Amino acid sequence: MLSRLVKALALVTLVALLYVGFTRESRPATTDGRVHITYWEKWTGFEGEAMHAVVDEFNRSQDRVYVEVLAISQVNQKTLLAAAGGVPPDVAGLWADNISAYADKQALLPLDDYLRQAGLTRDHYIPCYWDICEYEGHMYALPSAPHSLAIHWNKAMFREAGLDPERPPRTLEELGHYTELLTRRDESGRLVQMGFMPSYPGWWNWAWGYYFGGTLWDGRDTITADSPENIRAYEWVQSYSKKYGATDLQLFQSGFANWSSPQDPFLSGRVAMVLQGVWLGNYIDKYSPGMEWGAAPWPYPADHPEFADVTSVASDILCIPAGAKHPDEAFEFIAFVNSQKGMELLNLGQRKHSPLAEVSDEFIAAHPNPYIQVFIDVAKQGRTFSNPKLPIWSEYGNEMNAAFDSIWLQQTTPEEALSSVTARMQGRLDRALLERSRREGSL
Amino acid sequence: MKARHPLSRAIVYILLLGGSFLFLFPLFWMISTSLKPVEETMALPPRWIPSSWQPDNYWKAVTHGSEILGYTPFLEYGKNTVLLCVLVVVGALISNSLIAYGFARLRWPGRDVLFGVTLATMMIPFPILMVPMFSLFRHLGWIGTFRPLWIPAWFGSAFNIFLLRQFFLTIPRELSDAAVVDGCSEFQVFRHIIVPLSKPALAVVALFQFLFTWNDFLGPLIYLTDQRMFTLSLGLQFYQSQHGGTEWHLLMAAATIIVLPVIILFFFTQRTFIQGVAVTGIKG
Amino acid sequence: MKGLSRREMWAGLAFVSPWIVGLGVFLLYPILASLYYSFCDYSVFREARPIGAANYVDLASDKLFWKSLLNTLYFAALSVPLGLILALALALLLNSGVRGLTIYRTIFFLPALVPMVALAVLWLWIFNGEYGVLNSALSSLGVPAPGWLTDPAWSKPALVLLSMWGVGYAMVIFLAGLQDVPVHLYEAADLDGASWLHKIRHVTLPMVSPVILFNGIMGIIGSLQYFAIPYIMTPNGQPARSAYFYAMYLYDNAFLYLKMGYASAMAWILFLIILCLTLLSLRLASRYVHYEGG
Repeated sequence: MLSRLVKALALVTLVALLYVGFTRESRPATTDGRVHITYWEKWTGFEGEAMHAVVDEFNRSQDRVYVEVLAISQVNQKTLLAAAGGVPPDVAGLWADNISAYADKQALLPLDDYLRQAGLTRDHYIPCYWDICEYEGHMYALPSAPHSLAIHWNKAMFREAGLDPERPPRTLEELGHYTELLTRRDESGRLVQMGFMPSYPGWWNWAWGYYFGGTLWDGRDTITADSPENIRAYEWVQSYSKKYGATDLQLFQSGFANWSSPQDPFLSGRVAMVLQGVWLGNYIDKYSPGMEWGAAPWPYPADHPEFADVTSVASDILCIPAGAKHPDEAFEFIAFVNSQKGMELLNLGQRKHSPLAEVSDEFIAAHPNPYIQVFIDVAKQGRTFSNPKLPIWSEYGNEMNAAFDSIWLQQTTPEEALSSVTARMQGRLDRALLERSRREGSL
Repeated sequence: MKARHPLSRAIVYILLLGGSFLFLFPLFWMISTSLKPVEETMALPPRWIPSSWQPDNYWKAVTHGSEILGYTPFLEYGKNTVLLCVLVVVGALISNSLIAYGFARLRWPGRDVLFGVTLATMMIPFPILMVPMFSLFRHLGWIGTFRPLWIPAWFGSAFNIFLLRQFFLTIPRELSDAAVVDGCSEFQVFRHIIVPLSKPALAVVALFQFLFTWNDFLGPLIYLTDQRMFTLSLGLQFYQSQHGGTEWHLLMAAATIIVLPVIILFFFTQRTFIQGVAVTGIKG
Repeated sequence: MKGLSRREMWAGLAFVSPWIVGLGVFLLYPILASLYYSFCDYSVFREARPIGAANYVDLASDKLFWKSLLNTLYFAALSVPLGLILALALALLLNSGVRGLTIYRTIFFLPALVPMVALAVLWLWIFNGEYGVLNSALSSLGVPAPGWLTDPAWSKPALVLLSMWGVGYAMVIFLAGLQDVPVHLYEAADLDGASWLHKIRHVTLPMVSPVILFNGIMGIIGSLQYFAIPYIMTPNGQPARSAYFYAMYLYDNAFLYLKMGYASAMAWILFLIILCLTLLSLRLASRYVHYEGG
């Protein structure tokens, strides 16, 4: 009988221990009297280190708030789910293109009052980076590490193909011509080297229309994915897979590794030109040191010189998810990052440019990316675009990616694919706007 | 149906050997890749056996990239998963055996109706429950904790109740009647007569429940938010999404780490296991 | 006697009480709530707001809904019958009186134990277009190697192929069923000089038909909820959504777009489809399935 009792007790103790061990919050104790806030961020490696430096600086600068930073993969989805579940972090490092969809769901806290109190205004920023944080008249985030895009090219490969290594293509027609010269096949006909391919790295597949003067919506309530400009853009995309063979390209591309690795096709010299963000320079230094490369504004269609210097701008952002426990302290940290000192510390570490209008001379002088001015100039010059600020953007973006796939793989014509996107997304947008008006009407 | 003719026996063995090769090869390939140096994973034509064994791939995989923040805490994930499995298995054993006893050996009004409802709920696909469960756990403040993943197990599940009830029904009533005459309470009958006789069935419940928890992906994906609290399955997916496409040797090492405990467990419990699977099929 | 049965009643309810709570809280409430949400605009952040049948109406004209449904049915229509055939064939081989039965059974069963995430990661490696072992093997045999997971025409067949690797459960269930077939039936057939095929057709199949039915229904239910493997192997259903399955779209609606009402409507449609297919199988079964003793 006794032994049975002991067994039962042991079982209960075990379960109790497990329970305690499990529910123990992994948050450090706040015995120091400071408010501890959690901050989820996507960055790892040296990008994470740069943010860590800023966080350390903030934690040292005062003794009331302590920021604990956690690296989270798929941070946007995890943050949305955690906020929906009522347990969000206090600060989340997402991407600007999450803002419209998340703000529309009330997943993010509007920052207007905080900004007013802190005296932070649009004038402090390169305007496009302030604007991408706004949705429906409210500010929902501040930028952290912004980026514009530029064409990067491998000078050694240019030389080998008999091209002037100092002269990047200026028009899309030139880009096509260079690609012909830079593409190689092995004796069995397999592609082993490409000049340029629109499907790589594939992060802005929705955006090609903008380089041809297109847009994805009219700014109010109409989806314009099937505009003639967009159709032309995706015909241009498809011309590459027609010319070099969809199957050949697929096979070539199936060997591509994760982009942040030495086997990345640009870093390993298998693709000569790529449209990429300001960070690529770091990865070249890290994984392919010694590569000779250049960066320049993206080429434009020869018949439309007015589209020169068009660039996509976006940014990593800092925001406060709805339901955060310590929003005031969270904003204090965000404001610290957005000081000139914070921004230059972060973006020098990450080797990007500062989103602020004012930049110290040392920042530019010390910047390891020799082409940093190219990125700042295209961002400032004003022919910038970013993702449409639509409540349905998460879905719309995925829809555009799928349309890109089927165009690239030559399953449909661009016209068919884009009109099907337009039809489906227009229905979605109509529904979202209808529900919004009903919601507001019922308030 | 026996194959007697020598020719047909030969064909049977050829098919069995060929099939065995096909079924084992992926596992072999996983282990082989996990022990290779990185250059060899990309060798063409592929090398079957690593030219130099790299057992520290395993160590690298579990402590990977300890450079700041790039770290995948597999040891932590392993601990989380084991604890979760223990909680779920203990809960499932206690609750389901009690419940099944109530259904199998006691008479009370509404029993058969409730049992019918219980069986019917086995038809309900998880997606139906997914959204309301999420909002329920949100109200309870359980999102981002392990609770959604183990507390429900302590309240029984239709399949286990069914399995145990069928087994309890096969235990002769005379045994428990005699005990009742001797003055045993229902709980004592359950504890001292039914449970000891039902070890094989309880083992099946424990095994299935363990496997389910070890493998579960969708539950942790929805309910766990903090990366340090991931389970092995979720951790492996995270690892793959971060390092996929390059470090196949480490990825295969991580996969092997998740597969191996299950296979070892299987070898130790093979009989129970195979019987359990067979029984679920025949009784169902 | 009255006292005893009352005592028994209370004891019974006490034993079952965890389940009464569990059934109510973790099953019945969610089912009813889900039905309600399917008629609502619901994003978690705001209270659910009834919008009539709008979610169902929108689904009817949602091309992606149809595409994901067709992908799923395509996958189920291939993987379930092929899986049944393979499982039954392996079980027949194992049941033909071979030596080393348990070894072979273990070998064929092992892959079914591999956790789904590990399975997905492993097959990503095997299917890899450039360094994948499958394509090296094919090209050394002179067979043109398809881009398994990069070609829309091959992504679903690739997933079907890998699902064949996990037929162990069904095989073990078949084997148990085969072992229950009375030997005298085969002996009687032998006396009649029946061929192997004849015995399969007239003795084995009828005798294991209830097991085929069971495995078939379990296969249908499982394949219609196919999620973890494509979620990892073909994220977003790439390429070109050729591997975008119903449960993925449902998950995306619920937890990526937070359209929980829409997702609930999808869940109910899935439930109805499962119900219909199950009833249909049972209906067919009443004609073909042989239950011993009536």
